[in-house]
Amino acid sequence: MDLSVLDRLKWLQQQQMVSPEFLQILGSDGREELKRVESYLGNNNDELQSFRHFPEFGPDYDTTDGCISRTSSFQMEPVKNSGHNRAISLQNKRKPEGKTEKREKKKIKAEDETESSMKGKTNMSNTETSSEIQKPDYIHVRARRGEATDRHSLAERARREKISKKMKCLQDIVPGCNKVTGKAGMLDEIINYVQSLQQQVEFLSMKLSVINPELECHIDDLSAKQFQAYFTAEADSKQSIMADFRSFPLHQQGSIDYSVMNGTKDQTSSSWETHSQCLYNSLRTDSVTNFFSLK
Amino acid sequence: MQPTSSMNEEFLKKWQMGLQIFRPSIDNTSVHERKKAIKLSADVAMASLRKGTTCWSRALIEKTATEDNFLVRQMLSGIKAEALINKKLPKKIVCHRKIVRRSKKILRRKSKSASEEAAAKAKRLVKRRTQGLRNVVPGGELMSNDVLLLQETLDYIVSLQTQVNVMRSIVDAAEAEIER
Repeated sequence: MDLSVLDRLKWLQQQQMVSPEFLQILGSDGREELKRVESYLGNNNDELQSFRHFPEFGPDYDTTDGCISRTSSFQMEPVKNSGHNRAISLQNKRKPEGKTEKREKKKIKAEDETESSMKGKTNMSNTETSSEIQKPDYIHVRARRGEATDRHSLAERARREKISKKMKCLQDIVPGCNKVTGKAGMLDEIINYVQSLQQQVEFLSMKLSVINPELECHIDDLSAKQFQAYFTAEADSKQSIMADFRSFPLHQQGSIDYSVMNGTKDQTSSSWETHSQCLYNSLRTDSVTNFFSLK
Repeated sequence: MQPTSSMNEEFLKKWQMGLQIFRPSIDNTSVHERKKAIKLSADVAMASLRKGTTCWSRALIEKTATEDNFLVRQMLSGIKAEALINKKLPKKIVCHRKIVRRSKKILRRKSKSASEEAAAKAKRLVKRRTQGLRNVVPGGELMSNDVLLLQETLDYIVSLQTQVNVMRSIVDAAEAEIER
């Protein structure tokens, strides 16, 4: 399994001890190489620690094993590089950014600074020797084995990883996205969710205007704590609102999982429909009928 | 990221301020007018929570301002966020249909294998969905790239959740009052 660019970056931020398994993988030669690596990198512990993280990804042992040997062998080339002293100083300058050694220097303009610094990832590389040392603005990216190393594909890959990262965040927020895989399905769920939230706002504002014709808010009387209790409302009051919402004529949703809104995560969409039907029948319908009469 | 209680409180405060501005003009208005007023003040409050940092908030304020400029201005002055109404938005992205159609025709002439076609179909689906998302999120058409769109969507969803939570709890409180 390929590790994403941004995941690797996170390794750079962490600092951990060398695990014995890692040394085993490297073998005796590897230990030598590791020492040489250390000398090359100087006291720049950040980047060295990144190599020590490989064994954490247990199931990937096979791939990392092969890849580690490849990386360790590549370490040697930059040592011969005439500019390696400057490289070290440059690295030390960029220590806080957690950059790795330069295998390939790319001028990629980053949209935000943090992510730009994160692009210097450590990993299996198949690139040529480093070229001239450039200004610290540039982001140093390492290509993976078998992948093109030109500017465009690297930028494209970074962009794709950003997008997948955002999609993961959205997956946490939008209920019911765990079951769907792939961008298209998730986008569909997201669109449905946003539309349902917007419709809820409409409905609630309509209900409030009916219930409270003077628009007087007795909230001033309620203390803040009391109000917090309303925020974490009980299930039945929430469900009454949800049932009202289902009867909303504009509502045209497919199978959407509203379990999070109900505060419980075990409701499936099918059970939700039957549940809402029962609630709708027993509900106070005055506000709803008002709305319908006005239509 | 879930809506925090501080966000809820802030939203409530701003919404209350907005509603107070409406109160004098409320007396003989219909349900629709009242609903519009409530929704408008809620939207403005939600957008002003972000203080103009996000694209969707600025677009939302602009949209509400076109509906009822005077009230929105009053509200923003009430919330002491007048600067928000003047913030500039990026240019709308215009796709000239003729050019797009022509380029698609040229691309179609290339013969495709089965796997390529499936990939192309998937890409088309994703494109269609992102376009749908742009239509739903306020200011979506103004966002130039997908990353920004997804970021804004995330922020927008969280703000919508706070809005819905606060409104729902107020409605519950009002219902409880009435039942008493």
